[in-house]
Amino acid sequence: MKNLEQEVCRQICDVCRVKGIDCTVVDKGAPLIGPESVLGLDSLDAMEIVVMIQTEYGVRIGSEETSREILVSLATLAEYIRENS
Amino acid sequence: MVEFCHEQTAHCESGVLANLLKFHGLDISEPMAFGLGQGLFFAYAPFIRLNKLPLITYRATPGRLLKQVARGLGLDLRMRQFKDPHKAMLALDELLERGIPVGLQTGIFWLPYIPRAYRFHFNAHNLVVYGRAGDEYKISDPVMPFATTISQADLQVARFAQGALAPKGKLYFFAKVPATLPLAEAACTSLRYVAKQMSGVPFFLIGTRGMRFLAGRLGKWPARLGDRNALLHLGQVIRMQEEIGTGGAGFRLLYAAFLQECQGVLDDPCMGEFSARLTEIGDKWRLFAAMAARICKERRRDGDSFVSCARLICTCADREEQLFKDILRHLG
Repeated sequence: MKNLEQEVCRQICDVCRVKGIDCTVVDKGAPLIGPESVLGLDSLDAMEIVVMIQTEYGVRIGSEETSREILVSLATLAEYIRENS
Repeated sequence: MVEFCHEQTAHCESGVLANLLKFHGLDISEPMAFGLGQGLFFAYAPFIRLNKLPLITYRATPGRLLKQVARGLGLDLRMRQFKDPHKAMLALDELLERGIPVGLQTGIFWLPYIPRAYRFHFNAHNLVVYGRAGDEYKISDPVMPFATTISQADLQVARFAQGALAPKGKLYFFAKVPATLPLAEAACTSLRYVAKQMSGVPFFLIGTRGMRFLAGRLGKWPARLGDRNALLHLGQVIRMQEEIGTGGAGFRLLYAAFLQECQGVLDDPCMGEFSARLTEIGDKWRLFAAMAARICKERRRDGDSFVSCARLICTCADREEQLFKDILRHLG
């Protein structure tokens, strides 16, 4: 899982059809969702990401862990997957 | 200044409630606060318009959670509204001087610490004020990761935001809480109420009947409204479903967590099974939201359509109806 951040980045780009992003150089700590998103993602994309994470990794982003915290950046998302898969 | 433990939560009203009760030494989780407050609901009201789009709600009306939790647990909840902003701020200061953290209803659009992208005109946003230093108030806003501050002028504007659900300076606090709580009794009352609302109300806009009515309409939106307007309507359905767009089927999963806690409170393993079923239903709502998002973003996959979205809502309605009927039957 060393390159989980890159793997998740590629899957997000695939699901959300983000083009022209090199996931090996993307800042893992940069905002993932919102106007400053490093991948240009918004809240509608976030829904797809939540479903994709559950399908691909069997990790549910539930109600108690707020998705706002988990989807802060690629780093926080990958950390959550590591801790829960 | 009082020592107030800030905790970020999924939803503002249940979060404020849980945080305020923790201050008073009562360990009530956010899902428990949401469940005891009878927070789960569904209504589709096309004749009520928000920004020219129909109202869809997945939760009980704002303020209901507070009142129901206080009633169910025997808490002394005090609430006040004001006509005069000056008096409203004085009343807040008085309570803070007495060391009482205060819940406020505010207009989220006017809170400067909320990132601009997340601000919208919603006047039933709850937060806690737990102190004042000069012109600044100490704020515990459950949608924020950390406690924050706000100026007196900004807070006053947010407390007197105009429009639908205008807060009118509303403040609330717990004056007294009992040492022991009738949790099991309150949980049963709330479980029955929500189950009846969801599966037994003979009105076509409410509960699972409301879901099916929405599904019937939604499937025909492209033909009735035209493509652009249909997409706006679909966006509204999922915008109202998600908490700031990222929570999945937030309220269903929150209530599922409440059912899970009820397994322990009621010493009833069936509650765990009900929780698992509602979690699965929450996942279905998420599939619907994801499909709707793809349609709105114009990146449809095979099988994505308004009709497929409507079918998914019907599936959720069927499963929720069966679940809540089973809960009612089980509780007797």
